[in-house]
Amino acid sequence: MQKFIKTVTLASAFLTIAGAAAAEFPEKPIKVIVGYSAGGGTDVMARTVAPFLEKYLGEGSSIVVKNMPGASGQIGVTEAANAEKDGYTLGTYNLPGMMARTLDRKADYDADSFTYLANVVNDPNVIVTSKKSGLDTFEKLLAEAKANPRAVTVGMSSLGGDDHFLLTKLQKMTDTEFTIVPFRGSAPARTALMGGHVAMGVLNVSEVSAFKEEINILGIALAERSEFAPDVPTFKEQGIDLINGSMRGFIAPAGLPDDVRAKLLDAFNKLEGDAEFKAAMKATANPVEVVTGDDFKALNAEILDLAKAVWAETPWR
Amino acid sequence: MYTDLIQSLPNVIAWTNLAALVIGVLAGIVVGAMPGLSATMAISVLVPFTFGLEPLVALGLMAGIYNGAMYGGAIPAVLLRIPGTPAAVATTFDGYPLAQRGEGGYALQVAVVSSAIGGVASAFALMLLAPPLSRVTLLFGPAEVFWVAVFGLCSIIFLLGGNIVKGLISACFGVFVSVIGSDPIFGNDRFTFDQLELLDGIHIVILLVGLYALPPVIDLLESPLKTDGGASEHLGTQPIWRTLPRMKGYWKTWLRSSLIGIWIGILPGAGGSMAAFMSYNEARRASKNPEEWGKGEGEGVAASETANNADTASALIPALTLGIPGTAVAAIMLGGLLIHGLQPGPMLFRNNPDIVFGFMWQFLFGAILLVFLGGSLATNSFAKLLKLPRPLLGSVIIILMLIGVYSIHGRMFDVYLMLGFGAIGYVMDKLKFPLPPVVLGLILGGFAEENLRLALRIGRGDWAVLFQNTTSLILVALTLAVITGPMIKKRLLKAKASNGKA
Repeated sequence: MQKFIKTVTLASAFLTIAGAAAAEFPEKPIKVIVGYSAGGGTDVMARTVAPFLEKYLGEGSSIVVKNMPGASGQIGVTEAANAEKDGYTLGTYNLPGMMARTLDRKADYDADSFTYLANVVNDPNVIVTSKKSGLDTFEKLLAEAKANPRAVTVGMSSLGGDDHFLLTKLQKMTDTEFTIVPFRGSAPARTALMGGHVAMGVLNVSEVSAFKEEINILGIALAERSEFAPDVPTFKEQGIDLINGSMRGFIAPAGLPDDVRAKLLDAFNKLEGDAEFKAAMKATANPVEVVTGDDFKALNAEILDLAKAVWAETPWR
Repeated sequence: MYTDLIQSLPNVIAWTNLAALVIGVLAGIVVGAMPGLSATMAISVLVPFTFGLEPLVALGLMAGIYNGAMYGGAIPAVLLRIPGTPAAVATTFDGYPLAQRGEGGYALQVAVVSSAIGGVASAFALMLLAPPLSRVTLLFGPAEVFWVAVFGLCSIIFLLGGNIVKGLISACFGVFVSVIGSDPIFGNDRFTFDQLELLDGIHIVILLVGLYALPPVIDLLESPLKTDGGASEHLGTQPIWRTLPRMKGYWKTWLRSSLIGIWIGILPGAGGSMAAFMSYNEARRASKNPEEWGKGEGEGVAASETANNADTASALIPALTLGIPGTAVAAIMLGGLLIHGLQPGPMLFRNNPDIVFGFMWQFLFGAILLVFLGGSLATNSFAKLLKLPRPLLGSVIIILMLIGVYSIHGRMFDVYLMLGFGAIGYVMDKLKFPLPPVVLGLILGGFAEENLRLALRIGRGDWAVLFQNTTSLILVALTLAVITGPMIKKRLLKAKASNGKA
């Protein structure tokens, strides 16, 4: 009898293993950790992407978004980096923020902690000025900055973010100097700009498209014009090769099984061609730019280098 | 614009939207009444679920919760001296003494009527004045906001009560807590001891629950055999038509507190607690018998509760028109709007008038619903809770507190932190240190520091930036008036008295 039980146990154990190997990923819900509160920009992106990802991962797949806000997204991304490497825990990822965090404070992850799945959003920077400032062209702004170093006050969301990096690039390229006023987020920075409390602002295009009449938008940091603001010239058109933005995407912990990684990448790759997806992203003010797998990894490395250079030259804390 | 307002009305009274509003208000009252759970949290839990709902159903739920929670916080504030939400701290001052006198029912009726009045006033401000009022927000740059915070901090002086030294120590403790976390400008860590959990600073609800809710519960458990709960079991509830005449003298307070609540609401960053404190302070200053305040003056409950509901809709004025939220709840609601494809900004009113104006109607109806849903139903069910034996009641409250604090970020760290603040609160309570200055110090200390530093950066180090425009100067004058007012009044009275003698 005992032998019989042993046999049955062994056999069923074997069957379970065989079953697991044969089953297709995903066979249970996939958790996506968002390092910001529900309703924030990254959260809205994750929730907008989720149904399309489910569609491309196949029948019965489901995505559960979990918010773990705190420490500018660091708590959530740390959790994702240290999760099981089975593809059932993914995380959202923000550039340059997540790499900047590894420089300006102690972080329990680095650039090698992740399997890079896809960047989905690229929200390019724009330079705007207050109507009261009288600086209504990029040319006038630069002239003023050159004539009176540090006289132009610049409202932006925070130090060590994309806004800050854009300004650093601009100062270097044009040999100018501005006074940074770091607000707690873009919305208060934009309001200070509209009230004329600061002269200039560095924001993202999604944050200004509803405010075209209230502020001067001088240029956009993209290679080509954006569909979100087609009448805004690029800086390239104005003679300076200034390209920068805030990126949001998805990562998994490093070392995912190859088949799982391939399946996820495949699903993310299909997003780009989905018109319905693009419409949904546009409605939530998210400019889409899908970069997957190794290209995403390379993009991350590039931004880390930039962040290191900025940190070495002008540490922000 | 006003035709849009009227055209959006039929949508709002569709039964699904009304049902969402009713459910929202009820849920809000319950959430607000539980120490540790706040409207901010309830709505952030809700936002993901509203993804698939019709916009007005989703927004109705949010509007209902917001209004309900702002009243709900008054229930334990009155009955147990435990503010259910940060904005209900000032409600404890007179609400609890009333309850101890056996007039808890009256205090709650004042709270519900005042909450509804504040909510209705706020909704009207949002409906009729959103675009022009958003211009007011633009007048307030960092320098001006700094002065608003100073103005608020000065009201601490009036909350100190008997012992000024102890009060100031309490306030300093609050300011110290506000300093913990990343520095608001450069992001340097301050007093974080390398704890990731402390980087964002200490959430006000953690401090509040520890400080306010734990000590009364310990008291409750220290003498388990006494029969009367934290407050009197005897609510002395009477039908509202009998108590309404007693409130007839409150109309000035209702009016003043509504205006204060609306004003604080449209200022970025300042929330319901500041509105409630300031309105309590102003109402007491205007009162003929200020010495009765803090001993069970119904008008004190009216002042606090009117103001903390009057900032709900008005906090959405800058949120909807400028994309800048006046309170944490408004910030989460903005996200909720975005999920439904509604981009805040000047274009919102042109692009989605039916939904924006529908949302405003929901605020109005939510406020009115409070009177019906918050009155006898909620009050009586919570009053029953108080009849529980003390050890059981104490345990229930502790469990609610633990759940509430844990669910802010979903981590035990905050629970330990709360227990630590509880110990501090217990000691402060025994040594008769006042607790309200701690809360004001935390809220306004951080607010003042951040804006002062931003203003100085804008002025490139020159302090003159703080006195450069009319708005700042008006605020400075107001602050001076508040500080010197009592002294001047005393002098005038003295002069009059001596004139009379002559």
